[in-house]
Amino acid sequence: MNNIISVDSLTDIISNSVGILIIFAVISLINDNNKAYQLEIPIEHSSDLSPVFVIAKNDALLVLNTDKLFTNAAMQATEGAAKRKRSFPLDYGHLLGEIDKRKGLIFHVEDIEGSKDWHHFNTLEKPTSALKDQLSLINPKKQFAYFFVYDEVGESSISGSGFEAFRKAREYLKSRGVKSGWKPVDSNNPANICDVSFSPLCRYLPSYLGSS
Amino acid sequence: MASKASRRARYLPENKLEISLFPFLSIFLSVMGVLSFINILSSIHSPQKIKMTTELEAGYKVAFQMFSLPDGIIIVPPVSRLKKLQAVVDDDVRNDLADIIQRRERFINNVKAYKGALEDFAVEPEVDEIVDLLKEIRFINEEALKHNFLYEEFILFGIYPEGSEAYRKVRNVMARSQDAASISIGLEPLDANWTLNIDGTPTVDETQRSGQ
Repeated sequence: MNNIISVDSLTDIISNSVGILIIFAVISLINDNNKAYQLEIPIEHSSDLSPVFVIAKNDALLVLNTDKLFTNAAMQATEGAAKRKRSFPLDYGHLLGEIDKRKGLIFHVEDIEGSKDWHHFNTLEKPTSALKDQLSLINPKKQFAYFFVYDEVGESSISGSGFEAFRKAREYLKSRGVKSGWKPVDSNNPANICDVSFSPLCRYLPSYLGSS
Repeated sequence: MASKASRRARYLPENKLEISLFPFLSIFLSVMGVLSFINILSSIHSPQKIKMTTELEAGYKVAFQMFSLPDGIIIVPPVSRLKKLQAVVDDDVRNDLADIIQRRERFINNVKAYKGALEDFAVEPEVDEIVDLLKEIRFINEEALKHNFLYEEFILFGIYPEGSEAYRKVRNVMARSQDAASISIGLEPLDANWTLNIDGTPTVDETQRSGQ
């Protein structure tokens, strides 16, 4: 007796499944192609708010303790650091300082590994973290955050080394009603704090998002 | 009355047909796996697109977009709302605006017609060109204000990784220009895999650029 096995039903199931998967793939592809990142529109504006400076580099953030930094820098200045244009340790976040007549106090960031002052931006997602505590101290009615964001690309990186950290921190601050401003920096053009009376480039302004 | 043969058949063990489903399941799961794999790969590799339309607005503020790349800048000036402004101004200004609109449309069309990688379209910003652009934006904004037309152009910088040099050059010129004093500025960090897409014109896969 010849047993004729019909594979119609199995072929049917397989072709249906494959067809559905192909449809899913095509739909997801179309969705991906149509997905467009709508640029937010942050616009800088003058403000009476005072800046709290933050450096973003290698996915980590350093909230600058300006009191400490300027005290250390002032001590170095009295020892002739400004004249000799030498870099000196600021005893904070592995930063090296340099005093420049036009650019004010320049912050060189060499190596942030092992520094207790730098915090990875992921810690913002934790219920409590040192970074959160520091950013929480910013009073939205009196202060805003100003970020020096490192724009240096690593081997396989598709982003400036501080871009993502800045975005996450800005998002967190926005949820708290704190305004943010930023500018890109790199090793050749490091972060600096100076007074606007020295140069119009020494203006640190917050931005508001036009879409918000 | 049943025959002898039929009685025997009734008590014979049933001759069941056993079919192994393994090869079918194997093919089925393989196809599913491959398709899922392709889907995941495509979702990872397909770059996000930035909606880089020529008209990006926040209320009455209209973005004059400047994309800052390692090799220079790409500008995307607004046009459509400018045409509405043209309709409410007097003849002399209307002619000036017509020239500006014509120049901008020609520029946008050139960008759209460019068949190569759009990143190659980035040009080193020349000081004279920046000064002219600032004058143009100031002229437009002042005319809009004079005619009580709700329209204000501001410069929106989109900064790609390692694109801050060109941005800094433009900002340095702006810091010393009287024309720029009244122009608002916005800036956003962009990742390398965010592609530029001007109304379906050539796209830039910046991932390739970052890999260079």
